[in-house]
Amino acid sequence: MADVLLHAEDLGKTYGAVAKTVALTAVSFDLQGGEFASIIGQSGSGKSTLLNLIGLLDTPTTGRVVLNGHDTAAASRKQRATLRNDFIGFVFQFHYLLPEFSVLENVLMPGRIAGVSVADLRPRAEEVLALLGLEGLEGKGANDLSGGQKQRVAIARALMNRPALLLADEPTGNLDTVNTKAVYELFRKLNRELGTAFMIVTHDRSVAQQTDRILEVQDGRLLQDVRNSYIEAGPAAEAEPERGPAAGDVVPDEEPALEPETSSVEPPPSV
Amino acid sequence: MLSLSIAARFLRKSPAQSILIAAGIAVGIGVQVFLGSLITSLQTSLVDQTIGNSPQLIVQATTAGASLDYTAGLQLAMKNESQITTVVPTRSFSAIFKKGADSAPLQLIGGQLTQLDTIYDISGHLTSGTAQLGAAEVMVGKDFAEANALKAGDIAAFVLPDGKPAKLTVSGIFDFGSAAANSTTAFVDGAYAAGVLGLGADQYTAVDAQVSNVFDSKTVAESLRAQPALSGLKVTEWQAANADLLSALKSQSSSSYMIQFFVLIAVALGIASTLAISAVQKTRQIGILKAMGMKDRESGRIFLWQAAILGVSGAAVGVGGGLVLIALFTFAGRNSTSLFPIHPQVGFVVISFVVGVLVAMVSSLIPSRRTSKLDPIEVIQGG
Ligand SMILES: Nc1ncnc2c1ncn2[C@@H]1O[C@H](COP(=O)(O)OP(=O)(O)OP(=O)(O)O)[C@@H](O)[C@H]1O
Ligand SMILES: [Mg+2]
Repeated sequence: MADVLLHAEDLGKTYGAVAKTVALTAVSFDLQGGEFASIIGQSGSGKSTLLNLIGLLDTPTTGRVVLNGHDTAAASRKQRATLRNDFIGFVFQFHYLLPEFSVLENVLMPGRIAGVSVADLRPRAEEVLALLGLEGLEGKGANDLSGGQKQRVAIARALMNRPALLLADEPTGNLDTVNTKAVYELFRKLNRELGTAFMIVTHDRSVAQQTDRILEVQDGRLLQDVRNSYIEAGPAAEAEPERGPAAGDVVPDEEPALEPETSSVEPPPSV
Repeated sequence: MLSLSIAARFLRKSPAQSILIAAGIAVGIGVQVFLGSLITSLQTSLVDQTIGNSPQLIVQATTAGASLDYTAGLQLAMKNESQITTVVPTRSFSAIFKKGADSAPLQLIGGQLTQLDTIYDISGHLTSGTAQLGAAEVMVGKDFAEANALKAGDIAAFVLPDGKPAKLTVSGIFDFGSAAANSTTAFVDGAYAAGVLGLGADQYTAVDAQVSNVFDSKTVAESLRAQPALSGLKVTEWQAANADLLSALKSQSSSSYMIQFFVLIAVALGIASTLAISAVQKTRQIGILKAMGMKDRESGRIFLWQAAILGVSGAAVGVGGGLVLIALFTFAGRNSTSLFPIHPQVGFVVISFVVGVLVAMVSSLIPSRRTSKLDPIEVIQGG
């Protein structure tokens, strides 16, 4: 399990105290470092809920998330904040840039939250800005950008602290097809070059097909968890057999498409 | 400090709001500085008028009208009280002024003019004649002179305590600024008074003194009473005889404190509500900062810093404005005798400044608590 970056165990989420909404039930899976995965499902199926739980933005009603060996079940808000800052980058459908700050300042922010001085962060910030083709926009106000540029700044900011895991919730929901394609190509490039693991929420099956692993959520349950064929042997694949049927991870041989027979995921037996 | 630089940026990006809050603090602290200094100066001026030119502390024989011996021991005891600034032994008696069928009682204080001046400053308040007290001379107050049609150089007739008549030349007329003092008090030569009272060279009816801080007269009196050199003597101080004035001053002070208090409350409410609005406006930013890993405490400090910046700048402007008002008030009254000068007290100004900053900080507690409690998921889910 050395390479397990994220261990989600029996995750459940029920919203509301009086009118209860069960948004997620018994979701378990492991994500290895450097994996490029997507979460798909219909609207309201629980994709965002799941992403927010594994991103430590929300706390599960049942189960636990182990991030990079840190069991977060009993973690304080402060500890979860530190883990988010250290290991996770977020990209949402809305860019959430800080309008009071420039492009460069927005990108520096995760590093400054970590307590690093601006001078020490500068080279890294320039690196990620260049990586996203944002050179020359450093001094611009966050509001003075196009939609595509804003989203790229948001991605640059998410990459600032070299996160092991980048979580993206409909990251291209507000972008046109050209920008959408560019963002996913970029994600793939970052995944290959930096080894950043990705979990991308999308309702677009064709986008999901481009990823190495697809977790499909339906009515709050993990309907299937499949690997696209073209990942051959890697640390991710090697670790799988030990886990047994609980996670239901199957690596199909050839087919990039989802195999129906791999589709059912039982709640894991209690260990 | 990330929270500080975020606070500064938030303030800079909403200048109208920032200026509004700072102006609120400035007005509050300006009023505070001006009103506080005004009341203090008014009181100092009132106290000064009432007792500035009179003894604040009097040592007398226990039996009324008896004399006391101004011994070396007594002199030393008075001198050893560091708060006592002036000591003047006097010989006082009452006489009746006679003019035709008219008569008026008068308290005559006998002493050496140079010494009397250290307390009463008769020379400094001279309105006509010359400041001198020869053997058969008397200096009377303006109101007494007017009531009895006396001018400098006139000869006034008196009936002394022992019933004998006396004629004294009016050498000068003074104005202490108080009709009561001007019409009941007059001064004569000390040696002359000794003759009238039948006292020896070291015998006096009273030893008058002034203290550096008039409100300390009670403790100085206490301390003197405990001295062996003063056994058998009576020490009175002005506060005991001016309870009315003191209670008037106290109620004036407390009404001034009330006004200042409510001004500060109004300022605090203004800051609190404006900052609360600002905190709501920044909810999304705070949420995303927290999603990126900012700790609750650090995020709460953003609004504390905002309040501190606004408090310091607002209070500084307020102190400046208050001082300018004081200068204007003093300038306007420079040729007027009825207006009194306002002296800004350094300590009070500093306290006002600190209070301004504290009020701002306290007002930010609610928004900063809300900020630190904000869960990033509320923002992320709300879109
Ligand atoms: N804060 C909340 N309070 C109550 N119910 C909620 C809350 N957030 C989500 N839900 C409910 O939980 C379920 C899952 O929501 P979630 O946002 O995870 O869906 P999703 O798969 O991300 O959908 P979409 O594709 O539309 O974004 C939905 O039924 C939703 O109504
Ligand atoms: Mg969603």
